[in-house]
Amino acid sequence: MKTAFFHLMPYPELPDDFPQTHQSVWVDIDPKLYDPTVGHRAYNDYIDQLEYAASVGFDAVGINEHHSNGYGLMPSPNIIAAALSRSCPDATIIVLGDSVALYNPPLRVAEELAMLDNITGGRMVAGFPVGSPMDTIFAYGQNPSTVRERYHEGVELITKAWTSDEVFSFNGKYNKLRYVNVWPRPVQQPHPPIWIPGGGSVDTWDWCAENDLVYCYLSYFGYKAGLQTMNGFWNRVKDLGKEPNPFQGGFAQFIACADTEAEAWELYREPAEYFFNTCLHVYAGYADPPGYKTPNTVRSGVEGMVERAAREATARAEASAASRDAANDKSAKPKGPSSAGTSQLTFEQMVEKGYIILGDPTQVTEQIHELCTNMNVGHLMALAHFGNMSRDLVKYNTKLIGQKVLPELRNLFEDEWEDKWWPKPMPTEERQLPDRSESTMTAAKGASA
Amino acid sequence: MTAVDLTTSTSSRIDVGGSEVVVHFAGSGTAVGYLHGMVGTPPGSPILSAAGDASLAITAPCLPGFSGSEPSTLTRNVHDWVFHLSSVLDATGLTGGPLVASSVGAMVALELAAVRPEAFSRLILLAPLGLWDDADPVIDAYATTLSVQRRLLTKDPTATAIFFDDPEGLTGDDLVEYGVARYQTRTSAASLVWPIPDHGLSDRIHRITTPVTLVWGADDQIAPISYLDRWASALPNVVATHTVADAGHLVDWDQPAEVAALVAADLGSNDVK
Repeated sequence: MKTAFFHLMPYPELPDDFPQTHQSVWVDIDPKLYDPTVGHRAYNDYIDQLEYAASVGFDAVGINEHHSNGYGLMPSPNIIAAALSRSCPDATIIVLGDSVALYNPPLRVAEELAMLDNITGGRMVAGFPVGSPMDTIFAYGQNPSTVRERYHEGVELITKAWTSDEVFSFNGKYNKLRYVNVWPRPVQQPHPPIWIPGGGSVDTWDWCAENDLVYCYLSYFGYKAGLQTMNGFWNRVKDLGKEPNPFQGGFAQFIACADTEAEAWELYREPAEYFFNTCLHVYAGYADPPGYKTPNTVRSGVEGMVERAAREATARAEASAASRDAANDKSAKPKGPSSAGTSQLTFEQMVEKGYIILGDPTQVTEQIHELCTNMNVGHLMALAHFGNMSRDLVKYNTKLIGQKVLPELRNLFEDEWEDKWWPKPMPTEERQLPDRSESTMTAAKGASA
Repeated sequence: MTAVDLTTSTSSRIDVGGSEVVVHFAGSGTAVGYLHGMVGTPPGSPILSAAGDASLAITAPCLPGFSGSEPSTLTRNVHDWVFHLSSVLDATGLTGGPLVASSVGAMVALELAAVRPEAFSRLILLAPLGLWDDADPVIDAYATTLSVQRRLLTKDPTATAIFFDDPEGLTGDDLVEYGVARYQTRTSAASLVWPIPDHGLSDRIHRITTPVTLVWGADDQIAPISYLDRWASALPNVVATHTVADAGHLVDWDQPAEVAALVAADLGSNDVK
């Protein structure tokens, strides 16, 4: 199996009372909360962490795209990928991904990913999400009833632009281009592998299964809750008579590893609570704009991952508000000693429900093995940074996972299945590495002086 | 679960340009068209029930995706809706007659009136959308939960029960499909106002020569009542304005009898040709 160190890049200093005093971490998060000096440190820390992961055993580094979002500071994952393309000379770079429907024209995505594929010598994975409702519908103003059609047309345009060896015209419903001609051309032929991050839409299962694309479930809620979604995808694969190659599946999982389980409980509580109670404080009104779901998804009753997160966060906020109101109302009857503030998700609940895999390296290895075999997933997006985790703690977690966990899992699926969706880079000896040496001309002049 | 009175109207499905359109008929008397707002015109809609007592013969087509009409794939922009409405009016015999139109329906009707002046003899508009003021924005009805949206649309949240609540006696797949149809209606309504309910009508509004009566709910929480004055100033031929007490954005859902009586009086007045 292959494992990527996946980063969400959250803003690390939201106030403690954020869930009580703000409606949402996404879409209408208060601009006044952003401190660029904090942002400067965060971006550089996060890029350091991705680079570090690539040096301690992870197969890949992974990034994604969000907008107007306090837990995801990557409006443009391609910018981060560009930085990593030079500083991580061997790792695969998974952009998971570019929200195709938001680019006008989406040809820009084809061009930028082709540039990255050239710079990296073919170490790119191209991810194409529809994008969350918060990102696409609210932050970027796309019409929910047309965003999926626009997305599919964009993916068609990009793949055709990468593979056509002639200049062509594209007369789409949303994109009309007289001359399509992407320069540079991708290194990987016919094009970089395409992975589709999904949030629970049944039509995305169908699309990935029918077109041999990797389906990645980037869940906040861990492997126990994700099983149903991944099974939905594998059932579609089975219905089509195709092989359930585990490398056609991907899954994201929060991981908290320490030398001992007791230490893990102690170290990861604060960042976990910061992520799940503050970073996921999303208003439910932004999660289900009518038209974003397909009729099939409405019919199936499947609740998307973002929709669930927002529903639960809004319910917690309403419960907290009701609790505070009751506490402020002197005439109200007491509801017990722990009624105020109990709506927050506890760290124990996060671990118990599988949102976070926690333990010493052996325990973590066992749980990841169970996750990957139960879900039949050959690509793991490991979230070894979450919330407001300190730099030291990220490195500690990353190194333990990279050096003590992943070596035990590396052979999983590899003997039985071919990973047809992993990049096929140029041979190492043909790849150009960053050159930090002095000019020979400067050296020659120095010698003659 | 909600009981629906289906005795006051009939419905049919007609083909318009290859797309199936639901049309409701209610009452007898003065003929008038009705074009719905954000929740469409489900069977048993209050305005259909009120038509008889006001001596109105209402013909109420439903735009693509609304209330069982086939969703259209030709809805890239507002002009696709306008051409569709033009065809619907021709197919239902409403062309050249008076039309009552609410909210998003009024927005499409005004756009049509700008390009086809003979489309209507009169427009009675219930809180139309289509103008925008940055300093006084129209509220986003879809950046909310369903329960909040319901409270925003009408003064009395129970007024829209036949849309938001599941009907009595419906179970299994029928209930699922009812939910899918309701979602489709919301989808179509949202698509008309996304991301801002301004498709450039203010640049064309001078072309609308049709006599217009404006009706506004005093408690409109979607389009503030301040928009009544904006429309009255912007439209070239406003002949009357009315404010309806105890009514929200979907005026005719909160006060159907009053709106029907107002329409009947308006159509009976001397300035109607």
